[in-house]
Amino acid sequence: MRLDLTLDWLDLADVTLLSLYVSGMATILGSAIGIPLGTLIGLNEFGGKGAVKTITYTLYGFPPVLSGLFVYYIFSRAGPLGDLGILFTPTAMIVAETLLVIPLVTGITITSVVEVDRNIKESIRAMGASTSQSTLTIMREAWVGLLMACMVGFGRVIAEVGAAYLVGGNIDGKTRVLTTAIMLETRMGNFEWAMALGAVLLTVALCVFFFMRKLQERELL
Amino acid sequence: MSLDWKIAVVVVVVGALVSGAIGYILIKDDEGGPKALLLATTTSTYDSGLLDYILPVFEEENDCEIDVIAVGSGTAMELGKNGDVDVLLVHSPTAEMAFVNDGYGEGRDLVMYNNYVLVGSESDPAATNRSANASVAFQKIHDNGTDGLVQFLSRGDSSGTHNKELSIWKTLGLNVSLFEDWYVSTGLGMGDLLDMCEQEDATTPSYTLSDDATYYQRLSEGLIPHLKIVYNYQKTDDALENQYSVIVLNETRFPHINHTLATEFKDWMVSEDGQDLIASYEKYGMQLFYPNAAGYVPGVRLLGSPVLSVDSSVESVAGAPLSVPFDIRARVPIWCG
Repeated sequence: MRLDLTLDWLDLADVTLLSLYVSGMATILGSAIGIPLGTLIGLNEFGGKGAVKTITYTLYGFPPVLSGLFVYYIFSRAGPLGDLGILFTPTAMIVAETLLVIPLVTGITITSVVEVDRNIKESIRAMGASTSQSTLTIMREAWVGLLMACMVGFGRVIAEVGAAYLVGGNIDGKTRVLTTAIMLETRMGNFEWAMALGAVLLTVALCVFFFMRKLQERELL
Repeated sequence: MSLDWKIAVVVVVVGALVSGAIGYILIKDDEGGPKALLLATTTSTYDSGLLDYILPVFEEENDCEIDVIAVGSGTAMELGKNGDVDVLLVHSPTAEMAFVNDGYGEGRDLVMYNNYVLVGSESDPAATNRSANASVAFQKIHDNGTDGLVQFLSRGDSSGTHNKELSIWKTLGLNVSLFEDWYVSTGLGMGDLLDMCEQEDATTPSYTLSDDATYYQRLSEGLIPHLKIVYNYQKTDDALENQYSVIVLNETRFPHINHTLATEFKDWMVSEDGQDLIASYEKYGMQLFYPNAAGYVPGVRLLGSPVLSVDSSVESVAGAPLSVPFDIRARVPIWCG
């Protein structure tokens, strides 16, 4: 890998793009599930709501390797969806990472919408808004919190290594992402190269978070 | 800047990013062509650079692709048991025999070996370097450890190296679970464990068992300046031989696997071409792996001869010859100094 510098940079681009793709897709999918789920839980009163919230917050601590193991057993040939043949592909990694994003996004969404709801509930009702209208208004008001949820989710998966390694297999040119590459280089004793990859990861994260912060502050939308 | 313009920029940027990423993946997938061969192997064969050296030759000859999943031998065999890979290259003889006997693998073919080395403190307070054989060296570490003078760091992760270490304690009639604080079970990979050994050695003289490839790699990186090989493999002592074997998964049990290509790969690994290639791999100024497939004679090329051992797999199912496990001298009462 280090013999040919040109190849090196191409490999690095491959690995970086795949990192972005896997974490980006996991964040989008996880948010697409977590934000509606969190809004639903936050804005409705039902029996056991407290327990649901506690469980959601508990899953913040869900160990990534466990998520990886879970997805491994689902997509393993010995498991229920083995015939799909998606183990050791980026798709399997996205599924495992999505599982990690969902509780985070759900939990932060709950907190955000409840906060907004408490402040403007009365005025919305007073204007005679329907449930769907008021829900949309609340979500729009909770924009900063919802974006925060996505950012925290992205932050978790871009830095995640356990699940990515287990269900991806760290295959060169196919499922190697920045974190598993860092792990590999560390294992091989190339500490400097590992740290350089870490710098690349942080730079990528910087770009993404810069963009998301602009979104959050409505400088872009 | 008007709002509409900003929205347009965002839409374009997001769209470009998303479609770029998706297109990239689709292109990558298209490149795959026929299904790649999935090889689960131990970290040492991959991290040492051996596979990057030999696999492209096979890929070129057979116009195929091999995807390498480098994990511990234990994990590799677990992936095999679930039918998630096609072929294994591992180094844990006892577990491999069980794997084949249980019907997960078709057979076990010896491919190559390298050596385990006992690594320890430069000063070697347990004086292991003067040991007659590996067992004696381990006994010395045990005795000095019990006296609180040295410590032993173990992989503790069911890897091939860990299993080798356990089997040596076993020949001494010692039970690892009864060892006191001087025996540290870490759960680390080999490189990480050597790094830890280097650090721990600052306070307590420390020993560990390593494969030589990882030891030389760490040494060449300048990460373990205070450690040396305190007991080395010798021709008279094959207790520290680290045997690698190739196992093709059982097609009857796992009909979905890429059996044809897996068998071709196995045959190639034990063929003269494959064996010569393995022998020619050098790193840190030395040969790292020594080919020893059945019937292979180093340096003697039988021109035009067919691939060796057509039914060697059948033989190895019946009772694979395990590399002679331990020096016979280990079984006689041991002098303790």
